[in-house]
Amino acid sequence: MKSLRAIMVVLLSVTLCFAFGLSSSSASDSVKVGISLPITGSLAKFGEIERDAFKMAQKEINAAGGINGKTLQLIIEDNTGRPDVGRSVVEKLITKDKVVMLGGGYSSSVTYAVAGVCQQEQIPFLVNTGSADRITASGWKWIYRINPSVSHYADAVKSLLSSVVKPKTAAILYENSLFGTKGAKSFGKICKSLGIKVVLKEGYEHGGIDYKPVLVKIKKLNPDIVYMVSYIMDASLLMKQSRELKLTPKMFIGGGAGFTLPEFKSNAGVASDKVISATLWHQVLPFPGAMDFYKKFKAKYNKPVDYHGAEAYSACYVIADVLKRAKSFKNTDILKALSETDMMTVFGPVKFTTWGKLKNQNIASSYVVQWIDGNLELVWPPKHATKKFVYPVNWLKTWGY
Amino acid sequence: MGKKNLTLIVLLVLFLIFPLVVHSDYYRHLVIITLIWVVIGSSWNLLAGYTGQVSFGHAIFFGVGAYTAGILATQLGISAWWGMMFGGITAMVIGLVVGWICFRLRGPYFALATLAGGEIFRLIATNWESLTEGMVGILIIQTFRSKLPYYYIALLMAVSCIGTIYFIMKSKWGYYFVSIREDQDAAESMGINTTLYKNISLLVSAFFTGIAGAFYMNYMAFIDPNVVFSLHFVSIMAILVGIVGGVGTIMGPAVGAFIMVGIQETFRSSFFGLAPKWVSQAHAMAFGLLVIFVIMFLANGVVGDWAKIKRYVFRIKPQSME
Amino acid sequence: MNVFMQTLVAGLLIGGIYCLIGIGMSLIMGVMGIINLAHGQLMMVAMYITFVLSSYFHIDPYFSLIVSMPALFLLGCILQKYFLNPLMEVDSILPENQVLMTVGIGIVLTEIARFIFSSDYKSVKTSYGGSAFFIGNISFNLPMCIAFLFAIFITVALFLFLSKTDMGRSIRATAQDKEAATLMGINSNRITIITFGLGAALVAAAGSLLMPIYYLFPDVGGPFTLKAFVICILGGLGNITGAILGGLTLGIAESFGGTYIGMGYKDMVAFVIFVLVLVLIPGGLTGLKRLIKS
Repeated sequence: MKSLRAIMVVLLSVTLCFAFGLSSSSASDSVKVGISLPITGSLAKFGEIERDAFKMAQKEINAAGGINGKTLQLIIEDNTGRPDVGRSVVEKLITKDKVVMLGGGYSSSVTYAVAGVCQQEQIPFLVNTGSADRITASGWKWIYRINPSVSHYADAVKSLLSSVVKPKTAAILYENSLFGTKGAKSFGKICKSLGIKVVLKEGYEHGGIDYKPVLVKIKKLNPDIVYMVSYIMDASLLMKQSRELKLTPKMFIGGGAGFTLPEFKSNAGVASDKVISATLWHQVLPFPGAMDFYKKFKAKYNKPVDYHGAEAYSACYVIADVLKRAKSFKNTDILKALSETDMMTVFGPVKFTTWGKLKNQNIASSYVVQWIDGNLELVWPPKHATKKFVYPVNWLKTWGY
Repeated sequence: MGKKNLTLIVLLVLFLIFPLVVHSDYYRHLVIITLIWVVIGSSWNLLAGYTGQVSFGHAIFFGVGAYTAGILATQLGISAWWGMMFGGITAMVIGLVVGWICFRLRGPYFALATLAGGEIFRLIATNWESLTEGMVGILIIQTFRSKLPYYYIALLMAVSCIGTIYFIMKSKWGYYFVSIREDQDAAESMGINTTLYKNISLLVSAFFTGIAGAFYMNYMAFIDPNVVFSLHFVSIMAILVGIVGGVGTIMGPAVGAFIMVGIQETFRSSFFGLAPKWVSQAHAMAFGLLVIFVIMFLANGVVGDWAKIKRYVFRIKPQSME
Repeated sequence: MNVFMQTLVAGLLIGGIYCLIGIGMSLIMGVMGIINLAHGQLMMVAMYITFVLSSYFHIDPYFSLIVSMPALFLLGCILQKYFLNPLMEVDSILPENQVLMTVGIGIVLTEIARFIFSSDYKSVKTSYGGSAFFIGNISFNLPMCIAFLFAIFITVALFLFLSKTDMGRSIRATAQDKEAATLMGINSNRITIITFGLGAALVAAAGSLLMPIYYLFPDVGGPFTLKAFVICILGGLGNITGAILGGLTLGIAESFGGTYIGMGYKDMVAFVIFVLVLVLIPGGLTGLKRLIKS
């Protein structure tokens, strides 16, 4: 009886495991590039977007002849969103799979840990999303980055604030991850430079149910603007609860990540309207292929794509370009080709230089978007705007009171 | 008696020559991680399996050890290797505090208190940014580029840990520990100072776990609160390593460490690239199923129920011959 | 004053939901001595049931209680009968095997959910989702108030069940002294099965009630399991009144911690209270009453 039960448990387990069916990856003999992304775990959502974008680009590149005739093979490994797994995974990619370079990098803490490995192993790593400054501010010569660091995310916001909103006080709320902490810190610096007094700066553990304690405090302090650095679900809860409390500053500003995703709108509903956010890309920008990429992605995966996808897609093209130009697939030759990059992508122009304290950094601009009547419109800088920004905002009316 | 010793010697020799024979850094890395778990699992086993105090918070000691090493490097500018010594000692001090608070509790209450303790430390590490750099974590540059030194240090660590536990359990202390596990009140009434011996067990357990943590800092070169104070990936993993291998046995946790690390990576990498990609999606599920299976059928772990496994395996054969 | 009142209200309301989570676990711990580390995952299952009913069949989350509670009751019974009761017979050195079994179950439940629904965040769309009404200057979130009322209703129903019905009394007897209860003719195996089912049904209610306010993803359960512990310890194991007090206390303490100490420390408040109570007041809050009396 017991042995029968044991056999059944084993069979059930094996069946369950096999039931997790999907197509297998095809092996190929060509140029191997390792990509480290969170495919499972709490950050899986973004990992999936970037993986899909990478694959889309890879297909197009190979269809157009690959890397001088060789197929571009992306070995996408799941770092589960944890830095220790990320490190192990990258070591495997480098020592076992013998990839010639590395790409990817979502989540600042994982990217940072992974970059440390690449620097030590002397393998070029092209970061496309991890935004902590220190990734390219540590003087690591093997690490290059396409996206701007988090301290530059709010550059466009700064310009909007100083020319239009002109707030005197601000409250800063952030998720206490690496990304959130740094984002809050850099916005604090912006406030200082614009003479804005920060009346409250508080971090929170993500995944909270009830943000009313801190929102009530903010309401009492009545700041002109509320700046939040949050991932999607916290962002939507924050806005929904602000609406419930009738917390009405002059402006709600999101520091990227959560506030630009379509899920933010669908979850926060009317509470998402008129919220502005910093972003790094929008499909209407005058970069060749930007709108095409947006449409292609939407058609294939049935969901809109934001800057994360654009970063991954462009990164793949940059990688292909670098590998085509490299004299050989030796690490030093790839590094040289990487440093000489000068091309246009859907994310914008890509050229690596020194940007303040950051080395091997691509100088990318940031923009401001605003949810207007359910669409994420580019509102600043005015020359690229699809719609004029809405300010001042009658929050109670927007919220349906 | 002699056969067992011979097996151990052969095993030791195999481990000594392993990295010289296997040149892949990937596999060497896996074994190093396994050796770390041998230490954590054995330490946990000393406190839980032998002394009966089932801790759900061993991450406290691991994390404290890791952060001691890390903070020495970042705040005092001295090499993180000093953390190997100080990490163990700091973990012991913390252990005394944990013991003082938690030992007045029994059974599930003790378990929950240690669980809460682990979470408290994680939150402290996250919020006390001036000391720990919070969620930014601590990153250092590895001292050695080759894996060999790390491998041998880890091996030394694991062997010393198991050896120490072996000698402790053979001594009078071991006898006291087990009697506390079997019936604490009876032991107390026999004149055994249960509080003293529970604390001794805890101190040794914390010491080695702390050293493992410090080693982790030196080897992985990056830690943050969620990595080293993790409830699931450190505390519960330690318990699983102990249980799967066999609580209350010397070599049990070592076996458990190999099984757990092996299974995890086998699945995460889709059987090292041999199986289709989707297998890696199932790794967490496989882990859960393994836990259920082991608890259900091999409650005393692979080592503890080894006789049962042998019987079971041999029992099937005669039946099929009929 | 406003800040204080608003914090208090927020704490009370969330406390109501916490009660349901805590009572479920307290029952299970009190009757069987099992630390159910899959408690949050059971809640997750109920939340997915509510989600599916809401998205595909347009059934209101509050009505979904009619489905999710019995479904989880059934699941709880199955888990206890096939996975946990058998362990009682296994001879092992440590009694903590039941706990680890729940860990395994929790992982498997989470992964099945991830496989079916992916890691995406899901939520239910209701017309009253973010609505709040105001009494004076204090905002009351409508779904949470409804949840609070439901929690009261369910708790009262549970009380009546435990005190007035035969089954309820058997459960309480088993909680007090399992061996004596068996000697009196109570089938303790059956009782454990039903109790686990009951605990699961209660946490299912909490999950369904939480859907309009929060969101859903496969890993949502973990933090709630931890909260359930704190509540159990606060209230004393197996003590329903205690669990209620514990739930409300936790909600209020978290709220005040968030407002007056800082949002980053909110979670720590729970654990610190936990350890303090464990150490200083062994019998939980109700033990405090006894302490004061003596």
